[in-house]
Amino acid sequence: MILAFAVAAAVLFGSGAYLLLKQDLIRMVAGIILISQSGVVTIIAASLSRGRAAIDVAPGERVSDPLPQALALTALVIGLATVALLLALVHRAIVVFRTAEQDELAATEAEHEAGLERRRQADREEIESDPDGERAP
Amino acid sequence: MLLSTALLVPWVTGVLLVALDGRRRVIAWLGVGSLAATLVLLAVLAAQVFTGGARRVRTGDWPEGVGITLRADALAVAFALLSVLVLLAAAVHEASGGARSRTFPGLVVLLAAGLTGLFVTGDVFSFYVFFELAMTASYALSAYGGKRRQLRAALVFAAVNLLGSFIFLLSVAGVYRVTGTLSMDQVAGRMLDVNPNAALLIATGFFIAFCVKLGLFPFHFWLPTVYAGARPAVAAILSGAVANIGAYGLLRFGAGLFPEQLRHAGIALVVLGAASIVYGGVLAVARGDTAEMLAYSAIGQVGYVLVAVGVGGPVALTTAVLYSVVNALNKALLFLASGLRGTLVAGAFAVGALSVAGVPPAMGFVGKLELFRTGVAAGSAALVVLLVVGSALSLVYLFQVYQRRFWRADPASGGVVSPLPQRLVTAALALLVLAAGLWPEPLIALSGHAVDMLLAVGPG
Amino acid sequence: MVRVIARLLPGPSLMFAAGLIAKGYAEVGDGFAAGVIVALAVALAYVALGAAGAEAALPALRHAPKAAVGGLLLALASGFFPLLLGDPPVTHRPGPGEHVTTIGTLELFTPLLFDLGVFLLVIGVLTVLLHHLARSREEAAR
Repeated sequence: MILAFAVAAAVLFGSGAYLLLKQDLIRMVAGIILISQSGVVTIIAASLSRGRAAIDVAPGERVSDPLPQALALTALVIGLATVALLLALVHRAIVVFRTAEQDELAATEAEHEAGLERRRQADREEIESDPDGERAP
Repeated sequence: MLLSTALLVPWVTGVLLVALDGRRRVIAWLGVGSLAATLVLLAVLAAQVFTGGARRVRTGDWPEGVGITLRADALAVAFALLSVLVLLAAAVHEASGGARSRTFPGLVVLLAAGLTGLFVTGDVFSFYVFFELAMTASYALSAYGGKRRQLRAALVFAAVNLLGSFIFLLSVAGVYRVTGTLSMDQVAGRMLDVNPNAALLIATGFFIAFCVKLGLFPFHFWLPTVYAGARPAVAAILSGAVANIGAYGLLRFGAGLFPEQLRHAGIALVVLGAASIVYGGVLAVARGDTAEMLAYSAIGQVGYVLVAVGVGGPVALTTAVLYSVVNALNKALLFLASGLRGTLVAGAFAVGALSVAGVPPAMGFVGKLELFRTGVAAGSAALVVLLVVGSALSLVYLFQVYQRRFWRADPASGGVVSPLPQRLVTAALALLVLAAGLWPEPLIALSGHAVDMLLAVGPG
Repeated sequence: MVRVIARLLPGPSLMFAAGLIAKGYAEVGDGFAAGVIVALAVALAYVALGAAGAEAALPALRHAPKAAVGGLLLALASGFFPLLLGDPPVTHRPGPGEHVTTIGTLELFTPLLFDLGVFLLVIGVLTVLLHHLARSREEAAR
């Protein structure tokens, strides 16, 4: 049983990590979702115990540990919230950039870099034309 | 009672403020007021903790191990005070400049709630819950501004840090597996009997999660894009308040829960920290953009904290606490000042720069002095040399930036001076940095006290 | 067909959610699951009718942000109200062993308020998210 859980968690994490490295932003979100599920599976596997639910049990009966279920539920809720936020972010990015490809993001970033480089160039020219470097504050 | 109220106030006001339109002046200042109230509550709590010892609240009067424990000790209140102070400065900065998005004030207050919660909780899992509350607020904050650069920063920040959070969650599951409890006190006690390999694996998971948060050398790749892309107030929040999670986590989990593993991995931590210092310093010197330079400088500065944690022992850990405080204030000051213009701002930036470089009388000098003491106490000449090199590098890059920003009239801004309240905030932060440098005893005593309490709880 | 179902489904889903909350203290079910079920019905309405159509058919959806904030405040209040009585947070009333008023199988005690709060929060947040995703899609199509 533990082995099955371990394999499930490993497969989830592995496919999540694979998707995370993709260019497409939606796939990246899917990767994050899979990794969060792998966390939930690990929590359940980490504390698997058999028995009745821990509500209204007769004395002497075996009770399963209720805590991991509470933890898994909380992790699910947090996962839902973060994924909702991430989707909203990706959506905003798609609207603003009109594309979901990270390549495009990088291209925009490169433009910015080029702008910076121009400014540096301007700095250098200024220094050359003004060797004592005195300027009004 | 006071502890729960300090948590409740930012939480409720944050929720209310998110629903209101934060672009209106009133709402932005209400957010500032709520942060100020939180700060006052935390200060009263801190006074109680220092005179009467740690405060504990167990939720619902459940027995130990069932109910979640809230525990305010010196380390927790020190970090909470520091973070809320930085958030307050950033909130005043934005409120006086006119916030540009509906949700900014509410998100900052919610971030304060999340940070306060994670510093005072005594339970590993609720640490994760508050951690996610704080991180979710900061993901949304890093998109503040809504331009392409901010969105790119927010996406990178969210993707990398979510991965860090899930690694943290995996380690929490591991802790529950091997100890059968989530209460930090009990975990610390039972960790000694655990199979050392399993303990080391879990400790590594926590370490990676906190290093991602701090932006230490091998996990730093997201940091320059984010700090340089975000607006100055947000960068100040991320580096001055959110990064505290990493430093606090290293201290609480490293020294408090896994002292054995920390001792074994000490050398590795020192090496990583040293790599961080050199890498951050060298790249900062090579950068032209102010924000990018400050971002690489942040990578270098957190390296000092890791070195101090790696050396271990009361003296070094005290230094780590002290340096985290110094670094958070420095970075908040520098990022806020980097977006402004005017003579007052130039002065404030100079104070921050001198503080990062460790020149007296700024507060950074005290931090550097303590680091030297740590190096000497550890008997390591290499460490002392490293500190000197790091300081020299930071002096070089900060002077470059100062020259570029403030000695030359920027043709774009046309010599316009920023609004007075914004300049006053940076000046107040600069005064604080100076004051703490001139009269460092309270800060040193506070750090020492925090570490004593931390080590007294842990088995070491 | 889908449109008719999408229009009608939120009603039964609310009933089902109420059932989940009521039996949540002895069997499977809680406020979060109930909220997700209603949110699924709402999502179907958004997919089938579009943002404008869904909000015309179900005017209550326009109050989603209020539901989210109100729900979160309700949940927080149910956790922190014991502070006023001098108890630690998350103490619930009536306490263990005390008499609980019941309506059928529904037990009236303060954790119920927490579940209602979470229920409203989940519906509110997911509806706001759906609203934003659906609306800008329509704008892009135009």
